Amino acid sequence: MQLWLIPLLPLAGFAVNGLLGRRMSKTAINAVAAGSVLLSFLWVLKTLSTLGVFGGGNPLEQAYTEHYYTWIQSGMLNIGVDFAIDRLTAVMLMIVTGVGFLIHVYAIGYMAHEGGYYRFFAYLNLFMFFMLVLVLGANFLLLFVGWEGVGLCSYLLIGFYFTEKFATDAGNKAFIVNRIGDFGFSLAVFLIAMHFGSLDFATVFGKVQGMPVESSAGWMTAIALLLFIGATGKSAQIPLYVWLPDAMAGPTPVSALIHAATMVTAGVYMVTRSSAIFLHAHGALEVVAIIGLATAFFAATMGLAQTDIKKVYAYSTVSQLGYMFLGLGTGAFSAGIFHVMTHAFFKALLFLGAGSVIHAMSGEQDLRKMGGLRKYTPITFWTLLCASVAIAGVPPFSGYHSKDAILASAYDYAPWMYWVGVFTAGMTAFYVFRAFFLAFFGEPRWQAAAPDAHGHDDHGHGAPHESPPSMWIPLAVLAVLSLVGGYINIPKWLEPMFKLPEEAPGIPWTALVSVAAGLIGIALAAWFYLISPAIPEGLARSFSTPYRWIYNKYFVDEFYDSLVVEPMVDGSRSLLWRVVDVGGIDGIVNGAGKTVRNVGGILKRMQSGSIRSYAAWVVLGSIMVIVAIGIAGGLR
Amino acid sequence: MTLLDAVLFLPLIGFLLLLLIPKSNPSLSRMAALVISLLIFVISLGLAVAFNGSAPDGFTFVHDSEWISSPPIRYHVGIDGLSLWLVILTTLLTPISILASWKHIDHRVKEFFAFLILLEFGLIGVFVSLDLFLFYVFWEVGLVPMYFLIGIWGHERRIYAAVKFFLYTFTGSVLMLAAIIFLYNRAGTFDYSQIQSMLQSGRLALSSQAEMLLFLAFFIAFAIKVPLFPLHTWLPDAHVEAPTAGSIMLASVMLKMGTYGLVRFCLPLFPNAAHKSAHWIIGLAVIGILYGALVALVQPNMKKLVAYSSVSHLGFVVLGVFSFTKQGLDGAVYQMLNHGISTGALFLLVGYLYERRHSLEISAYGGVATPAPNLAIVFLIATLASIGLPMLNNFVGEYLVLQGASYASFPATVFAAVGVILSACYMLWLYQRTFYGKASESLSHHMPDLDGREWAAILPLLLLMLWMGSYTQTFMPAISAQNARILDLSKEHVAQTAPVLPSVREVANAR
Amino acid sequence: MPANLFPTGVEYFRILPEMILTIAGVLVMFMEAVFTNDDQRKIYGPFSIVALLAALVASLSAAGEPGAAFSNMLIIDGFASFFRALVIAIGVIAILSSTEYLHREKSAGGEYYALILFSIVGQCVMVTANELIMIFIGLEISSIASYVLAGYLRDDPRNNESALKYFLLGSFATAFLLYGVAWIYGLTGSTNLDHIRSALQTSTPPLALAGAAAALMFVGFGFKISAAPFQVWAPDVYQGAPAPVSGFLSVGPKAAAFAILIRVFMTAFGPIAARWEPIVWSCALASMVVGNFAAIQQSNIKRMLAYSSIAHAGYILVALTADSNTGSAAAMFYLAAYAFTNLGAFAVVTYFSRKGEKYVSIDDFAGLSQRQPAMAAMLTIFLLSLIGVPLTAGFFGKFYIFKAALDGNLFWLTVLGLLNSAVAAYYYLRLLVVMYFKDPGDSMDTLDAPGIGLKIAVYASALGTLVLGIFPGWVLDIATRAALK
Repeated sequence: MQLWLIPLLPLAGFAVNGLLGRRMSKTAINAVAAGSVLLSFLWVLKTLSTLGVFGGGNPLEQAYTEHYYTWIQSGMLNIGVDFAIDRLTAVMLMIVTGVGFLIHVYAIGYMAHEGGYYRFFAYLNLFMFFMLVLVLGANFLLLFVGWEGVGLCSYLLIGFYFTEKFATDAGNKAFIVNRIGDFGFSLAVFLIAMHFGSLDFATVFGKVQGMPVESSAGWMTAIALLLFIGATGKSAQIPLYVWLPDAMAGPTPVSALIHAATMVTAGVYMVTRSSAIFLHAHGALEVVAIIGLATAFFAATMGLAQTDIKKVYAYSTVSQLGYMFLGLGTGAFSAGIFHVMTHAFFKALLFLGAGSVIHAMSGEQDLRKMGGLRKYTPITFWTLLCASVAIAGVPPFSGYHSKDAILASAYDYAPWMYWVGVFTAGMTAFYVFRAFFLAFFGEPRWQAAAPDAHGHDDHGHGAPHESPPSMWIPLAVLAVLSLVGGYINIPKWLEPMFKLPEEAPGIPWTALVSVAAGLIGIALAAWFYLISPAIPEGLARSFSTPYRWIYNKYFVDEFYDSLVVEPMVDGSRSLLWRVVDVGGIDGIVNGAGKTVRNVGGILKRMQSGSIRSYAAWVVLGSIMVIVAIGIAGGLR
Repeated sequence: MTLLDAVLFLPLIGFLLLLLIPKSNPSLSRMAALVISLLIFVISLGLAVAFNGSAPDGFTFVHDSEWISSPPIRYHVGIDGLSLWLVILTTLLTPISILASWKHIDHRVKEFFAFLILLEFGLIGVFVSLDLFLFYVFWEVGLVPMYFLIGIWGHERRIYAAVKFFLYTFTGSVLMLAAIIFLYNRAGTFDYSQIQSMLQSGRLALSSQAEMLLFLAFFIAFAIKVPLFPLHTWLPDAHVEAPTAGSIMLASVMLKMGTYGLVRFCLPLFPNAAHKSAHWIIGLAVIGILYGALVALVQPNMKKLVAYSSVSHLGFVVLGVFSFTKQGLDGAVYQMLNHGISTGALFLLVGYLYERRHSLEISAYGGVATPAPNLAIVFLIATLASIGLPMLNNFVGEYLVLQGASYASFPATVFAAVGVILSACYMLWLYQRTFYGKASESLSHHMPDLDGREWAAILPLLLLMLWMGSYTQTFMPAISAQNARILDLSKEHVAQTAPVLPSVREVANAR
Repeated sequence: MPANLFPTGVEYFRILPEMILTIAGVLVMFMEAVFTNDDQRKIYGPFSIVALLAALVASLSAAGEPGAAFSNMLIIDGFASFFRALVIAIGVIAILSSTEYLHREKSAGGEYYALILFSIVGQCVMVTANELIMIFIGLEISSIASYVLAGYLRDDPRNNESALKYFLLGSFATAFLLYGVAWIYGLTGSTNLDHIRSALQTSTPPLALAGAAAALMFVGFGFKISAAPFQVWAPDVYQGAPAPVSGFLSVGPKAAAFAILIRVFMTAFGPIAARWEPIVWSCALASMVVGNFAAIQQSNIKRMLAYSSIAHAGYILVALTADSNTGSAAAMFYLAAYAFTNLGAFAVVTYFSRKGEKYVSIDDFAGLSQRQPAMAAMLTIFLLSLIGVPLTAGFFGKFYIFKAALDGNLFWLTVLGLLNSAVAAYYYLRLLVVMYFKDPGDSMDTLDAPGIGLKIAVYASALGTLVLGIFPGWVLDIATRAALK
């Protein structure tokens, strides 16, 4: 069924744009970039229909696998380049290619005035390739290939404006923090190969399911936790979430595609994929749930005080990812994936909308310098409204369905988790709408539009303007999706893989509470930022200490710098290099040489040149020899 | 007269030819050197084509004839899966380093290229010798031209570096010589295969103490060459002072002499001693991995940085070898080639930068990507390869090494894996400081993008990075088959088939 | 054996080389008396070379007629023939490399050639001697000639100083030797080596003071081979003497002295080997250490080579310590290899240096590789051979010696010796460094292309060095067959 075409098409796009892009017209580049992704999206559809997904019956009960060639063969290890497609992969494929295509289209408009146009789209296509390898790969190592690959593209695209230090710093930070996660991932891979003798999903999970749950050994938990460390890196969970907010240095479409819709959910996908292992390691699942919840909560609090619109959405992403892991940790894997999808819709929309706003403000990202944009950018206004309502979890919007599913399973798992989740939902609604109101309502605060941060120099012209069709059409599509996406019943679709808890009839009260929380959040936001704008400043003043902590993201970055980075660099320079290497080892080496030379000097001084002393030497020597022989044999 | 003889002696002939070319005509010597080295490379490809490792001991192109009657020193050469690719690596990198020195070397051109070809002779000889004595001879022969390459065409502190390089290596190798002579006195032959079979069959029995001493004598000689922490301090100096071509050959091929020796001699000849000391050596290897990476992190000088990164990378190789597992050994050998390709590329590119800006200080650069985008992309690919990005060559090697090491000692694996994180730190930081940021006026002026010659030199390496990373089956089978034999000789049996769960214990106990 | 007063023809035939050389030497002296202008003097060189070649042929053919001569005072065995051929060959190269120098220094006197020839005669007698008195006579003939040669350039004060030192210390040491001879005669009633051997073997309990006598003689020989602690004279003498003479002294007398040292100690004193081996062991080590370590400090190349020759004497003593067939074979090979290498090195120095300590400091060689690439390349070969890098004679020399040592279970001596050779690498490299890595200084300006004689000398020794390095088997086979024990 040529699964390989799915990732290969974007790769081809990358090759063409990357090698010839510099000599190609923008239209050609657009055609190649967006076209290749569209084709791969269509090929996904074709493949799925061939597999009977759109027909009735029970398609894809079993995974469909294609083997291409042996990648690595050593001793008992045999790692092939195999692609497999099952229900989970199908969902991910749809999200990645579908949303991916929309964002490509959007980017055509958004990047129209940027330098390095071909470079941008080449990277974007390369990202699609790796992301698709990630979800299609049929063994852990191939998944790891995609895993690292998307990390690379994220690094390249965050640092897209490579003349800006903050951008390249953010890129390095993203890559290195992810490497720390991958460290865990790779160790897990070693353990898996060690204990199962293979890395193929089928083999490994087959063996795991064969094992009785009681016998879940310590190493099983170890594997699960190490995998999860990988996930915390890629999906920006505590303690490795720090890279994501900085990642907003990249162009907005990148933030939408990579740092909201697709790549960051790779961790969720991977944990879901390895659910068999996690289900045999209960301690691990608990950890996942708690980390997820904590991330959701703290990220939300940080989101409260952000003034950069993209930063607000960035923290909300971290927080939403936390929700997903809460779902996984409480055993509702399908709910987690469900949220992955809906989140892809509305969060992509939020970012693209934000991009549209920034575009309208010719590069301005600071909410304090916006306001009253409603009448200038109507489409952006309405679409962003959809997205904000969706993320706030108001029915019938998509966010409601998935978030409800997660919270429900959280309640079954442990009520307190549910309550924290609900409270977080309230906060989410509050800060999202805070941003919304600050941008679109109130008095315009943008007369003194600051010079942009990204180099839209070429069109810094007067009043804000609605974006071109290539930008707003994707917005519209995503708005529709985030409205109705909740009715695509992912949990049902994934049931053969993860069976659902039996539904209580009617709408459970837990759902109502969470909706209420969302509405309260919106109401508060409206009260603070529409009715009486004085209140927030008042609050900020009266709770100055907690506000400062929130505003500075609990000083986590500073903490990491002073605890890890600086000691490592200083230690390496002043101790390892200067003292151990140059002083110590080389000191000994050169010291040996010096000693030899000094001994030589002494011997040289024996050569006084005076004949008497020479004669003395000869006599002395002879005596020594004779005595020595005497000792050796006795003179008798 | 086998194909191998041709590959081995053509460099020597080429060297003599180059000596005949008049001094007054440097461009001719350049051209001649390039043509000769390319010819050798093409012929050496024949080795890979005609290679067949099915012989019981895995050696092909064997040529065994007497050189010196007493003591019976034989000209005994041959190629197996272990040496095949190393030889081709050598023949590939020689023309590349010739291209790298095309403009860069402007005085005493003739001698330079003559020495370069002579170096190739010595290096190939080391990899194909199957007679301990012959091996030692080539081992030393390689030393001399490199000494001159560094000493004559190097940078400011070249003399210190050259002498240090020579003495370090020479000291190690005299110990090896003592061991070789001792072995000869006991075995009555220098022939590798014979000694090996004698040791196997027990016709030559070494007391465990003697075996340990012999092992150490060989090991130290090799460890200096690798270089293994803490015997590495000659490397940064040698690299920084050497001309580009010197650095390339040094990093890509000469260091492999050490690791090759470990696999070829230390394991099969002295298995018990090797097993006994494995824990210590693994410890040193891991220290080297982390130490090299951390020190590389803070180097202000590009070449020093890459040099220390080599200490780190080679640590992986040693770790794999002494893990005594199939994956570890396969990975180690594969990593030898990978390091040759990627580090060679890095030194080549650093050379390009130096030719443009005449400085190796990282602080002298910044924003190079703007005036020279192609250079930036190429450098990026090399960087990604060396930090082990999947689908590029180093990933395969590092993965296999760590996978293998995880059987031997999981803690060691954990620490070694930290090295993978660090590699990303220092390389990306180097890349950021060199290529990102705003380019200064003066820099933009002296930063033309890659020209044809430079493309020609770097392109093969880039393609190999991709090839070796995404399709290993071209290279792996030969290596793997021979490694199985070597592990067998090292009294190490590894399950060739996917085992069921309990076999974890077997693998664990097997070490 | 029955003493017959009338030697047979074959006995004369066995000492033909000595006779040829003596006559040639005397003839040269006559010519010197006759000739008036320098052009005529040009004949000396070729003439003595012809004489030497004739002697070489004679000695080789004499090797086909082995046996004793002159009532067993001389013995022409393989060992003797090997060394006789060697010293004569040394003479050829020495003369080839000196002619040009002498003419340059305006002192191409006949006596120089005569002295060389006489000295070689003495060495021939030494290596063929089978009897302590003969050894002593040979030693004296050779030494006295050498003393004069060392001071050959009369108007150069350093020459005189070196000659005087050489003479005084030399005779001082010879006194020890003679004393030892007397003692042995007193003990065993014979000066014939075989008799001494059997006397030492048979006599139980062991003869008193035999060891002491051996020690005394060892002092005498140790001086001639400049082994520590009797090496003190060497640096001053080599530095002071004219460059070609130093070259000659560093190999000719040394080879001969080693020959008799080996012969005496392995045959005559074989029975008491257990008693002198420790001494030789420690002297070997001392020589290696003193030679190498002190050489590192030298800035004068002749002096440096002097120390290096001390170190090499140490290596050869290692072979003697092994006290075995392989040991003496190794020593023979090493001496041959060292002869070629060192003569070559000194030939280049000769070509380079000027009277009165001019251009003999290492820094004067700066940039030689650019002015005289050929000469620099040759010197490089010699230096690599002295370091002991494979494919050169020096490497196999060391190889065989340490092989013999390990055969004799001298592990520590081997390791220490090899490490010493690593130290030695350092100071030889220094010369390479200045030749190749430094830019030319004023010493290069006066430098003109080498003359034909010197060229031949240098290339011949380079060829020898390489041949012995690539196909050592030939010489080694001969040595093994000729070796004692």
